[in-house]
Order: sequence, then C-alpha cells, then structure tokens
Amino acid sequence: MERRKTTGEMSAAEIAEVLTQVRAGDADAWGELYRMYGPAIFRFCRRALPTREDAEDATTEVFMKVRQKLGTYDSSRPFTAWLYKVASNHCWDMLRRRRIRQDLETGDLETLPLEHPDPSQLERLQAEHGSKEVRNGLQKLPDRARMALVLRYFAEMSYDEIADTLGVRRAFVGVLLLRARHQLRDVLAGTDSSFMLGAGGAKR
Amino acid sequence: MSHFDEMTALLYLESQLDDDHAQDVSTHAATCPECRELLHALETEGVWLRESLAGDEEAVPSRLIDAPERHAAPWGWISALGLSAGGAYTLWSGFIEPWRAQAAQAGFTQGNLFTMLFFSGAFWKGWDAMRSLMEFLAVATLGVLVMWLLRRRWRSFPTIAVVLGAMICSLAIPPAASAAETKHGNPNYTLPAGEETKTDLIVFADRTQINGNVDGDLIVWSRSVAVNGHITGDIICFSQELTVDGPVDGNVRAFAQKVTLNNKVGKNVMAWAGELNIAEKSIVGGTVTAGTGNGELNGHIAGDILAFGGDFDVNGSLGHDAAFQVETLHIGPSAEIKGRTKFQGSREAEVSPAAKLASPIEFTLKKHEHERNYSSPRFYWHQTLLWGASFVFGLVLILLAPGFLFDAQRACRKIAQSIGFGLLFLLATPIAAIIVCITIVGLGVGISTLLLYVIAIYSANVYVGSWLGERILGEGVGVGAALGRLALGLVILRVVGTVPYIGGWISFVVVAWGLGAMVLALYRYMRPQLAPAIS
Repeated sequence: MERRKTTGEMSAAEIAEVLTQVRAGDADAWGELYRMYGPAIFRFCRRALPTREDAEDATTEVFMKVRQKLGTYDSSRPFTAWLYKVASNHCWDMLRRRRIRQDLETGDLETLPLEHPDPSQLERLQAEHGSKEVRNGLQKLPDRARMALVLRYFAEMSYDEIADTLGVRRAFVGVLLLRARHQLRDVLAGTDSSFMLGAGGAKR
Repeated sequence: MSHFDEMTALLYLESQLDDDHAQDVSTHAATCPECRELLHALETEGVWLRESLAGDEEAVPSRLIDAPERHAAPWGWISALGLSAGGAYTLWSGFIEPWRAQAAQAGFTQGNLFTMLFFSGAFWKGWDAMRSLMEFLAVATLGVLVMWLLRRRWRSFPTIAVVLGAMICSLAIPPAASAAETKHGNPNYTLPAGEETKTDLIVFADRTQINGNVDGDLIVWSRSVAVNGHITGDIICFSQELTVDGPVDGNVRAFAQKVTLNNKVGKNVMAWAGELNIAEKSIVGGTVTAGTGNGELNGHIAGDILAFGGDFDVNGSLGHDAAFQVETLHIGPSAEIKGRTKFQGSREAEVSPAAKLASPIEFTLKKHEHERNYSSPRFYWHQTLLWGASFVFGLVLILLAPGFLFDAQRACRKIAQSIGFGLLFLLATPIAAIIVCITIVGLGVGISTLLLYVIAIYSANVYVGSWLGERILGEGVGVGAALGRLALGLVILRVVGTVPYIGGWISFVVVAWGLGAMVLALYRYMRPQLAPAIS
C-alpha cells in the first residue's frame, strides 16, 4: 500500500538533499521542509486529536521533535513514514497522558460479538454522508478507535506500525479497526451507544 | 468453506491473511454472491474512509505558516539561562566551595558520609539551614511541577523566564560567612583556661578538655569531652562521654554514650545517648529532645521535653509539657511539671506523692504490633485517617497525572515483574542516594532522591489499590469510576494490612509491587519515542 503523498512532485533524491541541508543547519531548507510537510502533519493531527488547538500545538511540537531527532532518521526508509510515525507517537502520547483512558482491553474486545453489516445499508450510509460528516463523526469516537482509523486510512500505516504506536498486539489491530469502523457507522447512523460517553467521546 | 465473517473479510482486503487462508476466501467468494457482496461493501467503505479523511477543506492556521525555529528561542529563555548560571555559580562559591575548603582544612576527604553530613551541617549553623534547603527544594519542585502543568498554556516565554529567574535568585542569597579553627589532638587536646577562641572550634582528639572560652561553635570528635569554659555558640559532639560544666549559650547536640550537663544551656538540647543526666545545677533555656537508655532530669528545663528510650527519672522541674515514650518512668518527690505530662510505656509511671504535677499523667499502654486493640474505635478511626490520606494522594495523582497513574495501574498486572523491579528499587535507591551524598556536590541531589523515594513508597499503595479496584469493579469510564476503584482498592489493602502477623508482610509486598509498577510506568514514559521508528 502506498504511503499518502505529501510532497507533490519532489523526488526522493530531492528530499534527501533537503534533509542533508537541514541537518547542516540551513534555515531555508528547514523552512522548505516545513512548507512541504507542515500542512499534511497538521491535517493528521487535526484528525487524530480532539480539537483544532490541540492539532496546532501538536504540529509545532512534532516539528520541533523532528528537528531534534533528524539525526536519527534512517535515510534508507521513506521520510514520510518516519514523519508520520513521529506525529502519531506524539499525538497518541498526548492523548494517553491527558486522560485516564478506559478503552476496553484486547481480550474483552476480542470476545465482543460483531454484528455483520447489511451491505446495502452500508452502501446507503456511504451515499448519505459526505467527507465532512465522516470527519466530524471521527471526532466522536474513543481515542483509540479514532487513532486506529487515522493511522490506517489517513497515514496509511501498516498493521505493525499501528500496533507499535498504540501499544497493542499486532493480531489485535484488525479487531481494533473493524470495531472502529462499526463505531463510526453507529455514530453516522445516529445509533452510537455507550462508548460515546467514554474517554474519547465527550466534549468534542 | 462456509460463509466467512466480517473480520476475515477485512483482513483479506487488507492483505493480512496468510496465503492459504486468503486463497480459501478468494475461492469461496468466487462462488458465493453473499460474501462477495460483503467484500465489495467493505472495500468500498475503505475507499470512502480514505477519501473522507483526505478531504482538505480546512486551512492551515496562520500561526503555523512559518516553521518553528530554534532561533525563535525568546530572550526570556536566554535571560533565564543567564540567571541560572549566576545562581549555580553563587551556589557553588557560596555553599559548596567553602565546605570543601573547610573539610580539606579539617583533614576530611569525601569518604565518610556521616561526618560530612554533620560536619557540613555544623557550618550551616545547625539544621535550620538544612531545613531551609529542604524547603527550597520542595518549593523548587513545586515550581517545576506548576510550570510543567501550565506549559501548554504559557505562550509567553518571558513570563516563564521571570518565574525561573525568581527561583534562581532565591538560590543566589549568600550564606552567612563562616570560619573555623581546627585542632588535632596529640593524642589529647586542651584549650587552656584563660584562652579564648574567637571563631568556631573543631577538635579531633582522643580526650578533649575545653577549659577556655569558645566564641562560636564547638564541634568535637573525641573519646571523652569535658567542657569547662564558656561556649557562645553550639556544641556538636560525637564522643563516648560528654560532660558540660561550663555555660553554653546555644544548643547542645550530642551523640554519645554518656552525656552530663551541669551548667546552663541557653537554647535546646538534643541528645542521643546511652545515659543522659541533666544535673541539678543545669538549666536548659529551650527544649530537650532525648533518645536515651537511661535518662535523668534533675535540673530545670524551661521548655518541653520529649524523651524516647528505656528508663527515665524526673526529679527536676519542667516549664512546659512533657512527653515520654519510654519503658519506665519514675517521677520523684522534687519533680515539678508545669504543663501536661504524656507517657506511653509498658507500665504506669511511679509517681511520688510529693511531686508537683499540673495535671494527671496521661498514660497510654504501649502495644506491640500484634497486640493491636481491634475493639477500640480509635484503632478504626486511625485506619480510616490513613486510608483517607492515601486516597487524597491518589486523587491528586488522578487529577495531575492521570496518564501516569493509568500506566502504573496497568503495569501492576505484571505481578512478578513489578515485585521484582520493586524490590530492586527498594534496595538500590537508598544505596544510590547515599553514594551520591558522599560526593559533596551531590548532597542536595542525594537528599532530594531520598525524599522522592519516600514519596514513591507512599504512592505504591495507590497503584496497587487502583489495580485491585479495577479487578473488582471492572473498567468503568472517567474520573468518578477511577476514584471508586481507588477507594475500594485502598480499603482492601488497609484491611489486609491490619491482619495480625501477615498484614505487615502483605503491606511490604504491596509496596514492592507498587514501586515496581511505578518504575515500569516511568520506563514507559522515558523510553525514547522515536526508538520504534528508527528501528
């Protein structure tokens, strides 16, 4: 699966050159790097965090972290993947520290019965709700469900990366994603239930 | 193959099934319209989600237009750093360097923690300065905590700089100048009568006689010490025997086998001694704190007395209250106590009918651990108070550091690992702190570490209690549920801790368990966030 493109037409070699200049302390190169990736990281944070203010703060903090840690970046790997990893770790850490997360644990979720969707209803749901409604609905999900969807369907992270970021077993990521999809469907259909009262659901 | 479930369909679409399993799904879908429809619906949903999340109608805010820059570090931080450097220099030149010089002059190296502690303490003019340092550390810790909590709200760096500057300035208050004269006995030392030392006097000798006057503190390490002259400051003495026949204007702090006071002591007496005798002619202007195997009060104490230990005889007078936690107490005919007298011991005090006591002795029978009075309401009230204190501590943790508490609570699930780490932490931390204390620069760090260690031990109950509550009440959502779990868990731990014989051991295990969980949670916090990404 291809990682979401954020760099427009910039090639890997060009990115590598910019990174080299940033490492050497070139302020212009740093500005260029930020202009290239800043909007994408802001959008990522906007989806991962509950408020716009949080996303703004997180974007700045992520880039400060990037600047500090750039020396540890392995240039044989895609820069975007590393950048999203830094951002997702930061956002998840913010959420984790901010509140007492009471997400259900792996074992409990694995035993939860998942109702099979009616494909026709699912298609109708998709037809009736636009992108903005989906993003608004996302904000009503518990932190972990929201993060899972954002990491997978926005940042295009692998199951391994998601497991690592959220601190869950890899085998659990599929369950987490499916459960999050169900929760989102419920929110959009207006049948969202108790989880909305949980840690992630209040005060959006 | 029968119909597959939604989970299998999702994993298939996301290429998460192994080849054989994926082949089965594919084969089945080819012949099953129902499952094919499910696959299609989920695939469409995936695309729909991606497109929805990628939607880009929200503009990047103007404050994020420019890249965060290092050179944007405001002048406030630079000022704060400057002040910090100034404060550090003042701390070094004002406190640490004089200690080092004086220690070197006294023939000390940094090899002995206790002598260094007491020796330095002497130059601090007693423990008051130590207390000031503790207070400073406490205030500084609180300040850092407040700044940390408010860090996201403070966008004005100069404000932080001012706060930092104020904190650092408090460090820069210069200490009182001090000087000392050091004498090494050969093997004995005598300050002849008629001679006067105009500064603090430090003596190391086999036997010490102070017949002259000391216009300052007298600090002595000696087998026997006899003070016949006038001491205007304090006496700090480490010896087998200390006899004070001359007047002392300050305090007497003695660590000795036998302490005898025969003259006036202007301020307080603190004695840790096998025998303590405050003789008939002796008058103590302040209070007496004594830990002694055999104590006698024949003179007069203007303030209070607090005594621990074995036997204590009172034949003198006392201006205020008396509190004795000794095995036996004897109050003789010439005794006079003008305040309240509290006595906790193995049996009731022997009181002479001629003794003058302002009020009857408030006697409490000393109970051993296994002799707790379970029928006394007071016992349960005490336990309730202890529970309440732990609960309030936990409440503060929940409000200030919920993420950390949550992590520590989760870490409690790894029972064996937590207990193992906890035991290690329990043993290693004080050793490490003492080692740090030995290096004179690390004295403050070592003492703060020990304070944090005590707080950590106290917090252990909270983590285990929360975990226990979760096991019983389940994983309810929100602060209210967290408090409920904490309350229940702490109640159980307190009840179990009061069980005779095994309660103490259980409490010990709980402390190790909670400490280990805390260490694991701390590790999780301190682990470099980028490590997974880099690897």
